[in-house]
Amino acid sequence: MSAELRARVLAAATAEPSPTRAAVRRRNMLIGMVAAASGIGAFVIFAVLMSESHLLRLGGEVVPQQRLERPVWLVVATVGGALGVAATAVWLALGRGRSMLGRSPRWLLYGGVLIPVSLLVWKVSCSLAFGDAMVAWPERPGERCLSLSLLVAVGPLLSFLAIRRHAPVQPALNGAVIGFAAGACAWVAADLWCPVAYVPHLLLGHILPLFVLAGAGALLGRTLLSLRHR
Amino acid sequence: MERYARGDEAAFGELYDALAPRLLGFLRKATRDACAAEDLMQLTLLHMHRARGSFISGAPVLPWAFAIARRLMTDHARRRRVEQRLFSEAAADDDRMAYEPTAAADDVLHARRLEVRLRQRIEALPELQRTAYRLLQQEGLSLKSAAEVLGTSVTAVKLRAHRAYVALRAVLREAGEPS
Repeated sequence: MSAELRARVLAAATAEPSPTRAAVRRRNMLIGMVAAASGIGAFVIFAVLMSESHLLRLGGEVVPQQRLERPVWLVVATVGGALGVAATAVWLALGRGRSMLGRSPRWLLYGGVLIPVSLLVWKVSCSLAFGDAMVAWPERPGERCLSLSLLVAVGPLLSFLAIRRHAPVQPALNGAVIGFAAGACAWVAADLWCPVAYVPHLLLGHILPLFVLAGAGALLGRTLLSLRHR
Repeated sequence: MERYARGDEAAFGELYDALAPRLLGFLRKATRDACAAEDLMQLTLLHMHRARGSFISGAPVLPWAFAIARRLMTDHARRRRVEQRLFSEAAADDDRMAYEPTAAADDVLHARRLEVRLRQRIEALPELQRTAYRLLQQEGLSLKSAAEVLGTSVTAVKLRAHRAYVALRAVLREAGEPS
């Protein structure tokens, strides 16, 4: 192997400074804060646009003359569980285990299945304790929750992709799981705002955005996370 | 790599010395183009250089390097196919595949023919089988490392390598060689 080639590669590396581990850690923390701020900001903007005077909505009118109240502990339980799932999803999506090539496809596929299922099961099982929370709510089919979830998740999705930066193996699958993780974070916001636990509403307003975000994450992952021969 | 991730600039030279020969060997066999192999090796090391800050302490470096090289190689091959289509270039004759008629001894000729047929068979294998075979047999990676590079399970790598062995054994049998 030629010394000229060695010199060329070393010179190319010297000419292009790259961040050290400490710099990457600082950058990722900054991106994480931006993700949190963008998510919270989007949540506030949405609440203002929806003319809500309070962000934590405990109840509302199911139909005129019928009001549903959501007990505080139910909010705490559903949001707490969703936070746990979201934290696990972010750990799964951004962590790479002990390999530079990230988690195995099997782990990623499990994540893709378990994240939406566990969020739905937790929400429904907590709400089942309160029969009223499961009643049909014709005025809220779920399109506002769908918008809220997508709006809140955009910032985290882009931030998570920026933190992950590249995935030499399975970039689309990694991107999809990042999408699920961003969606799980948005689920927490939707859960805070929305008192409805009617299953068709949950499927349209809460579960569908997870899959939309996973699809967007897969497309973005294929483009942004894969290595390109430039 | 650990030292380089922490900011020791001099460690890149050592990393180059440890990885470049293996990467270059892998890429030369896969591309059969020395210039392209050198370019891809340089790109692979530059990708590792750019990603040094995200290196996980104690993570194996070789599967990572091979995975980057493989991804870049796939991308390079795709671009080359597109370019060839665009310019309607006729497929170049591979003079390396030609026999040398001057070879006198029958056994040398037989060995050369067999080598060519095996090489052709390896090239004709599906990309995933071919890469699995090369990583295991030519680069000496473990099943686990090869599975990481290919982004699949150990079982799938075993199956792909097994299919490659079956195909190569068939060539040997046809040539009357013990398989």
